[in-house]
Amino acid sequence: MLTLLSAILLLAQDTPVSGRAVSIIEAKCQQCHSANVRMGGIQFTSSSDVQAVAGKLKTAIAYTGKIKMPPGGALAADEKQAIEQWIASGAVWTAPPKGTVTSSHWAFRKVTKPKTHTTIDQFISEKLAEKSWKMAPEADKRTLIRRATFDLHGLPPTQAEIDAFLADTAPDAYQKLIDRLLASPRYGEKWGLHWLDLARYGDTSGFEQDPYLLYSWRYRDYVIKAFNDDKPYDRFILETIAGDEIFPEDPESQQGTGFYTVGANRDMLYKVEDINREESLTDFTDTTSSVFLGLTAGCARCHDHKFDPVPQRDYFRMQAVFAPFLKTRVFLHYNNARGYDLSENTRTFRLYEVGAQLSAILDPHRTRLREARLAKLPKEVVDAYRTPEDKKTPEQKAINDANIKNIEPPDDEVYAQLNPEENERLRKIERRLVGMYRNYAPGPFSPGLTDVGRESPRTFVPAKAGSAPQEVRAGFLTVLGGGDIADPPMDSPTTLRRKALAEWIASPENPLTARVMANRIWQYHFGRGLNPTPSDFGTRAGSPSHPELLDWLASDFVERKWSIKAMHRLIMNSAAYKQSARPADPRSLEMDPENVLLSRFTRRRLQSEEVRDAVLQAAGTLNLKMGGRPVVPPLAAEELYGMSQPVNSAWIVTEDPKEHTRRSIYLISRRNFRVPLLEAFDRPEGVLSCSRRESSTTAPQSLSLLNGQFTMQQATVLASKMEAAPDPIAYAWSAVFGRKPTAQEAERTAKFLAAQTKNLGTRQAALTELARGLFNVNEFLYVE
Amino acid sequence: MLNRRQMFIRSAKGFGGLALASMLAEETGHAAVDASKAKAKSIIYIFNHGGVSHVDTFDPKPTLTRLSGETVPASFAQGLKTSRIDFRKAIMRGSPWQFPKHGHGGLEISTLFPHLSQHADKLAVIRSCYSEAFDHAPAMFHSCTGSQFPGRPSLGAWLSYGLGSENKNLPSYVVMSDGAMKSGAGAYGSGFLPATYQGTIFRSGKSPVLNLASPDKVTTQAQRETLDFINDLNRGHYASREEDTALDARIRSYELAFRMQAEAPGVVDISTESEATQKLYGIDQPMTADFGRKCLLARRLVERGVRSVQLFFGTNLGDDWDDAHNDLLGSHNKMAKKSDQPIAALLTDLAARGLLDQTLVVWNSEFGRTPLAEGKNGRDHHPYGYAMWMAGAGIQGGRALGATDEFGLRATEDRKSIHDVHATILRILGIDHLQLTWRYQSRDMRLTDVHGEGEFTNWLYQQKA
Repeated sequence: MLTLLSAILLLAQDTPVSGRAVSIIEAKCQQCHSANVRMGGIQFTSSSDVQAVAGKLKTAIAYTGKIKMPPGGALAADEKQAIEQWIASGAVWTAPPKGTVTSSHWAFRKVTKPKTHTTIDQFISEKLAEKSWKMAPEADKRTLIRRATFDLHGLPPTQAEIDAFLADTAPDAYQKLIDRLLASPRYGEKWGLHWLDLARYGDTSGFEQDPYLLYSWRYRDYVIKAFNDDKPYDRFILETIAGDEIFPEDPESQQGTGFYTVGANRDMLYKVEDINREESLTDFTDTTSSVFLGLTAGCARCHDHKFDPVPQRDYFRMQAVFAPFLKTRVFLHYNNARGYDLSENTRTFRLYEVGAQLSAILDPHRTRLREARLAKLPKEVVDAYRTPEDKKTPEQKAINDANIKNIEPPDDEVYAQLNPEENERLRKIERRLVGMYRNYAPGPFSPGLTDVGRESPRTFVPAKAGSAPQEVRAGFLTVLGGGDIADPPMDSPTTLRRKALAEWIASPENPLTARVMANRIWQYHFGRGLNPTPSDFGTRAGSPSHPELLDWLASDFVERKWSIKAMHRLIMNSAAYKQSARPADPRSLEMDPENVLLSRFTRRRLQSEEVRDAVLQAAGTLNLKMGGRPVVPPLAAEELYGMSQPVNSAWIVTEDPKEHTRRSIYLISRRNFRVPLLEAFDRPEGVLSCSRRESSTTAPQSLSLLNGQFTMQQATVLASKMEAAPDPIAYAWSAVFGRKPTAQEAERTAKFLAAQTKNLGTRQAALTELARGLFNVNEFLYVE
Repeated sequence: MLNRRQMFIRSAKGFGGLALASMLAEETGHAAVDASKAKAKSIIYIFNHGGVSHVDTFDPKPTLTRLSGETVPASFAQGLKTSRIDFRKAIMRGSPWQFPKHGHGGLEISTLFPHLSQHADKLAVIRSCYSEAFDHAPAMFHSCTGSQFPGRPSLGAWLSYGLGSENKNLPSYVVMSDGAMKSGAGAYGSGFLPATYQGTIFRSGKSPVLNLASPDKVTTQAQRETLDFINDLNRGHYASREEDTALDARIRSYELAFRMQAEAPGVVDISTESEATQKLYGIDQPMTADFGRKCLLARRLVERGVRSVQLFFGTNLGDDWDDAHNDLLGSHNKMAKKSDQPIAALLTDLAARGLLDQTLVVWNSEFGRTPLAEGKNGRDHHPYGYAMWMAGAGIQGGRALGATDEFGLRATEDRKSIHDVHATILRILGIDHLQLTWRYQSRDMRLTDVHGEGEFTNWLYQQKA
């Protein structure tokens, strides 16, 4: 319908009526309905085309019929009138249609760096001044180090770090603090987690069996390292989308393609390969476009996007990029990989033999014992047992089920039968098995993506009523310039489609890429993006709160060679970031509750992983070991309730207890089961890409931190440390809050300890209660 | 534009309003909810885990029985997918159960459900359900969330979002399962809705909600002392930050937690129920004790203002209807025996307390089972035609809607998708399924996606001719 408008706008430019109509159409309609985008499939190239649907246009803008245009909201009365008048006056076509797409939506326009401002603070102050507000004063140093440490590390600062920062009176003390935080490997663990949310990362693939994705964690470690190394974001994009095609000699870079392997899938459900492939293609297309471009292309899978200029054809052009996909293993070290596979191969063959040897020793005894047992059982039971499985009647099956425990001799009984010679043979086998598995460990593989070959399966736009399926070529979004992807050279091992897409996205010319990432970085620092819908930059996203600032940041990001750490320095050194949470003008709290204009710093609750990690740090048990296969911490039986698979296969607790207190990013991320404490604090489900976490406050959340096993264990550890300290209360305050208690707090706490010692009988128990209480206090759970 | 409720929730979040509102149930309803048009206040949804055979329960097929044992023409299986059957060797299997007529309506129910059959005039059976999901997890996601792929909000979550809670000390959406579910938590999750709307698992035993009990050896008095201590420190912290209601909400959440600690165990303590009631639900019998207890709890929860109770009957790690793969008779006899009396008792008890008219009871499964034989004794998964029923909420029972073909293979008349079922359930609870939306990735998402046009509320309330 709006294509009609874009054509119409070209008609009558020489009258005042048409001039007005044209400007309305340019502003409200043209991003979806230019000659090239052709939403709804209607094309206008002549007066007759336009006049034929003039009536429909009137109905559409009248906003009363089934089709309402523009979709974001009706035109103002005078705008409608202008268009109606223009139609009434003939809507004559006087100019040829434009050849190129020029969308009027801000996010699709080229990024231009405003020359008028040179700092973030100028943009912020200017907007505040419109309300006669000012930024809040700078927060005190104690607040700043806590804020910066949580933002960059996801951990509270230690007492020593706080003391050192407070003691550093140099003018650049704060700058040095940021530099120190950015140089620490803890940084990649915090910011890598943001990325894993976007990548809908998991260690299992979901659905009924929820099987392990055995090598997902290599992708997790790759991401952490990429952030720690400050890998330029454009390079990161190239590695993610097409590491195999662009860096064929560099397995390290190919690991990026793991992005496409760590989501939910039905790989291990047979007979559904076709559905699974379709779902994967949908996932790849949607996740790529929402994460990198901030476009919710998903809508266009079923029909032309109703709000954004993404026709259904474009969706499938993008999907065609992934059509030849093949999940694969990246060989991190070629020779090691070959050695690993060869030894696996031999081991498997040897195990068949071991199985046969074990049977040879054990089966005769087992059979003898079984026969002895059967001899004592009634005939119907024996008959039921001896009838082959597929010949048993339902009754026989029931009888057999009920008696099988009495028929099959337990292992212990069988082993008791072995003579010394058999025992010796068994021990030899055991030793051999132990030898075979002594150094058993994951192989040098990372999950990755490549193409099936140079030829791709064809891609079609699904058939609609009255039209056959339409084949499409892989290509780019029309609204951003469009274009097809060329066929690869004859000797290419892949289609090179992903390479083309990656280069198109990772280009400074792409208006979305830098804006979307700059906005994400901003959001993770301030709790709210300049565009508050970080994975949606389409026309429904509305205007950013500070559009010029967003463009300024996006340009700066590209100028600084896509360095994310440079963006942290830029943002965190601004006065806007260093503001106190208490605004200069209290009215701004009421008038701007979401703090859109940044009249203060937005206080936030810790994220789920931060809660757990901060408790571990306060208790002094945090193990900072990095990387490696996922850790499975012990959980209470009550917490394991609801696991879809048997606990002994779905929750194989990591042997070494020191592993249990590692940072939360290293805990196993099962698709069907979240660690309850993390779930209670809004850890996402890990099925769809998550661009912004919820921050809920619920009674079950409080219950889990108050009464859960984890809290109690860590409280007990902290209590024993308090007990050993000369001043237990001071020790507790330092460990949990990084400060000394006030006189009033110390007094209240002493009273509490006395009461609890009386209630619970021991000082140790009272101190544990103190620790448990402190972990639940807002000062500990919020950053400001 | 964001709808009013989502706007309220989103903007309120900045200052803790979401927490306050949903936690303390002070919110106004969603614009899509018209309480005056609601036929029911609550829903009890019995989800039969594993797939119940429709042709052995609520959809009699005499032709199938007559041709039992015959091979199947190739055209028969065209386009069908099942988990295990090899169609080249498939034969038809008639039902081993009889289908007497019951009640004034003459509704045919198999002899698997002798107790439930006495309520035949309360049941509206839908015999023409269909979908395409033939494996458990996708089918459960589909049935519970409307999408085969996980990550969407469940029906219960949408209801919590739309209806809020009537009892501030209890969750608005309670789930009881036998532990392991084939879908994992996704079947009662909140998807892209705020986590607060997800189902809260109630377990049997003294501590129905996870971490409800104070830690070992911590007495109630000690717990109170610790909570008072937390509260004092929080108040001290809050004193200089009173503008931030999120902090206040958090302080209050501990009070609510403590009240929940006090109230929730009482809900699950069924010793206060009379012996006659316990007997009615079969709690005195080993076969029926477990599900009987859950059905009784469902009534107690609804009575206390919980809007949505979902019972997942059967488990991934023990007994479920899916044992019908190898043993149709054994599995269905056993599962029916375990649930027939408890479900009948639930209907009797709700009616006796005047609650049935305001409670919608739904009985459904992720799919039916093949009219074709799997192996010697079994039936495979079958989504192409299956049956469910609804009762309560003033529904006109004793009737069946739609039909499958004469073999029970495909739904043919009045075909009903899960979206149609969801649209109907929402309507009965006073919600227009087209209006209950949440903006996610620039779309106003609905439980019914872009479907639900086959809503059949009107049929449910048609007076019998």
